[in-house]
Amino acid sequence: MLWFVRSAIVALFPRVERDGVVIPGAADCGLDEFLKRFKAETTTLVWLGTVLGAFVFHFTPLLTIFVPLPAFLLPKGLLDRHAAGITTTSIYLLRQAVFLVKLPGGLCWGADPQVRKLIALPPLGTDPGTWRAAG
Amino acid sequence: MSHVSFQTEHFEAEVDFVVVGSGAGGAAAAVTLARGGQKVAIVEAGAWRDPEHYPQSTFGALRDLMDDFGAQVTLGGAFWPVVQARTVGGTTVVNSAICVRTPGDIFRQWEAEHGLRGLEAGVLAAQDVIERELAVEEVPESARGRSNVLAKHGADRLGWADSHYMKRYVKQCEGAGRCMQGCTGRRKQSVNLNYVPEVLERGGVVVSCAPVDRLVFEGTRAVGVKGRFVHPGTRKPGGEFVIRARKAVVVAASATHSPVLLMRSGLELPALGRFFRSHPGTGVFGVYDDPIDQNVGATQGWASVAFREQPGLKLETLAIPPELVASRLAGGGTVLMERLARYRHIAMWCHAVRAESHGTVKPGLFGSARPVIRYQLNRADMERFRVGMTLLAKQHFAAGARAIIPGIAGLPYELGPDQLRLIEEGPLDPKHYIAILSHLFGGCVMGTDPKTSVTDARGRVHGVEGLVVADASVIPTNLGVNPQHTIMGLAVVFAQALLEQHSGVRVGVAA
Repeated sequence: MLWFVRSAIVALFPRVERDGVVIPGAADCGLDEFLKRFKAETTTLVWLGTVLGAFVFHFTPLLTIFVPLPAFLLPKGLLDRHAAGITTTSIYLLRQAVFLVKLPGGLCWGADPQVRKLIALPPLGTDPGTWRAAG
Repeated sequence: MSHVSFQTEHFEAEVDFVVVGSGAGGAAAAVTLARGGQKVAIVEAGAWRDPEHYPQSTFGALRDLMDDFGAQVTLGGAFWPVVQARTVGGTTVVNSAICVRTPGDIFRQWEAEHGLRGLEAGVLAAQDVIERELAVEEVPESARGRSNVLAKHGADRLGWADSHYMKRYVKQCEGAGRCMQGCTGRRKQSVNLNYVPEVLERGGVVVSCAPVDRLVFEGTRAVGVKGRFVHPGTRKPGGEFVIRARKAVVVAASATHSPVLLMRSGLELPALGRFFRSHPGTGVFGVYDDPIDQNVGATQGWASVAFREQPGLKLETLAIPPELVASRLAGGGTVLMERLARYRHIAMWCHAVRAESHGTVKPGLFGSARPVIRYQLNRADMERFRVGMTLLAKQHFAAGARAIIPGIAGLPYELGPDQLRLIEEGPLDPKHYIAILSHLFGGCVMGTDPKTSVTDARGRVHGVEGLVVADASVIPTNLGVNPQHTIMGLAVVFAQALLEQHSGVRVGVAA
């Protein structure tokens, strides 16, 4: 299921280059490792929501670009048009569902050191994942 | 001194007072009781994390500090997130520590509409003390950052009656812009750093990773709490805990969890879980020619209450982290990335609507402890919501923005100064907006009539002995200002009343 979620996020956050400046995409930001961690450390309900979001993303190109193919089979240009269309669709439930897969994409992308350097923010340290022990 | 955390074995204790929840209300009540010489146990669902344990990333903050990974949403209209923490210190760990005294008109409204008398002097006296103890100060110039300064400039140019840098429970803010992830610099005075440790120093007990499942009753008297430890990492259940209270149980588990806990414990008051209110809000981004770098400087540093009474709004700055901006901005694919490429040039300012609408809080499916919140804004509140967005847009343009990003579904991504009509005449369906509920009230509201309220003016639950609610759930109206100071002031007053009742000793926060 990870590839399914991953491919939706990569389409939502692609690498782009404008005026010689490269904006890293989610795939450049350690997405594979992040998704493994996300799946393991988030709640079951949130992970199910993420998968649902990816499902909606992949099986709605007919609604956005009128192509009867799942998004993971689309060529790059059509996939990009679908990514723009499904995130701004007027159908609220679809928009909200896709938000569920866009959120972990943003969590991965925005925490990446390359991205933070690009937006003049210092790199983040690691999450300790610790707490005060009894005593 | 003892801190009991997750354990697989059974744990039992007996104290004078059990306080459920360690946020603003719970910690203020607990420290007041402890200063009055009482043996207190604070029982907190989340783990105890000190600043060295705080996460760095927003993902880490959702995982380690937020209730239900921040995934709680309202049902009924739009799915708007309900933001609360689940950690020792509660939401004071992840909020912007904004300190606003309870407005005088609120006490008058409570008296006129709910018969609540004699609260003002005690609450204001408690707030005096809390401000000194938690080092309340205005955001220092060095920590304001460009977004906060621009917001003030815009509001001043518009001639708004009130435009100020915030006062916060933050000592010498260094402007790290990381309030939402917990202040690793220990500048923010969240209550896990002061009142909760003081309870330990005074001989109390803190039981963390311990979500209370049920209150324990003997007849009509609350005599303790019980539940099962939950591992903070794996979320696997551990051993049972039972903590008995010789004198009273104080519930301060939040506006969503307190009513659910009371319901799951068998209480059947007609007003329980009703009159849930909030300050729903959203942000409007301004797009500027020069870099703003909104995450440099205080997360929230400027505010205005000029529109608190009419139409019923509070305006503030709010710099959310880039991880959330990435999912908050509309669009996907190349379009989204090109929008994110201008990240340094955008600043988000937000409103909090003093909404009249109210909803309900109930236990989840099959009586689970996960609150189900039904809440939808009525037309008047949506009109306020829209007016607030228009005001923020005007403020951005007055501050020099060349465009604004309203984030309203169906409208263009960016609007210029001559397009504000599109917001003014924008949709009134909440589904078109991206909003959150950050300030929550009600569910166990105070009042004199047991048919329309859950507690009296000292938080004592009607018809039950030894049970007090001391958090935002008792607040019967919207405040129109940030609620932490009111929650803490009320909790202190309620705890002082308990001390008087049980020992005849009156001890304030500054004992």
